[in-house]
Amino acid sequence: MLLLSALAGIAVVFALGVLLSKDNFYSALYMAATLVFVATVYAFFNLQPVFILILFVFVGAIGIVTVALAATYRSDPERQVSRLWAVPVAITAFFVSLAIATYSYSALNLQPVSSSAIEFELMNFIPLTEYMLLIVFLISLAILLLLSVLKMSVGGRS
Amino acid sequence: MPVIDLISVSIIYVAAFAILLIGYLAAISSKDVIRLLISLEMMFGAIFMALIPLFSVAHLANTAFGIALVTIFASSGELLVLICAITILDLQKRDIHTSSISIGGDKL
Repeated sequence: MLLLSALAGIAVVFALGVLLSKDNFYSALYMAATLVFVATVYAFFNLQPVFILILFVFVGAIGIVTVALAATYRSDPERQVSRLWAVPVAITAFFVSLAIATYSYSALNLQPVSSSAIEFELMNFIPLTEYMLLIVFLISLAILLLLSVLKMSVGGRS
Repeated sequence: MPVIDLISVSIIYVAAFAILLIGYLAAISSKDVIRLLISLEMMFGAIFMALIPLFSVAHLANTAFGIALVTIFASSGELLVLICAITILDLQKRDIHTSSISIGGDKL
């Protein structure tokens, strides 16, 4: 559970980096790191197929294209958030830390509940006919998306 | 087989909610469409994370895998279209700031 908390916490910290960074390039890098850690949580639960899909398709393709786009359109960042926001942020961080510390202290005294333990199962993926239907839906969706891109590019030229 | 308890589920949901909230905040404060794209990807990341507990229910594991599969490919396609839209916006307006977008929608 400690490792899971660390992975989820690092993902949230990188997500905060996206919000706080004023440079889109670094924001895109932080976003890619966030998604990598989200995928790592899947790997933590031994769900390797989803881990590979997120890492290769979402981070490897879309994330890197976003990073390249952000690097292409990189400009001097301008400050969007006032420094005065640091005061409520510090107060909120204090109360959140206090709540987490209190919960951690009380969680030590909790008895494990056997009914809450749930086992993973990733066997016997959906039947072949439904799988084929899913593939057909995905191909149709991809064609529709590409048609919309074509329409946009034709509209852009005219 | 790995086992997930309620505390782990709550950790996952809290992290997913935090990432989703940060994605919303980034979208609200974005001044250009690339930052909007980044915030959308963050939101999808939060959705992926929120899907994990679905795998823990034995009779829902296969459905969860199907949902994850469709979500990953559909969101990737949607983001690719958005990337194309950004390049087209740059071609048309020579500007990628959200303030340069005055109207939305399409003519049928």
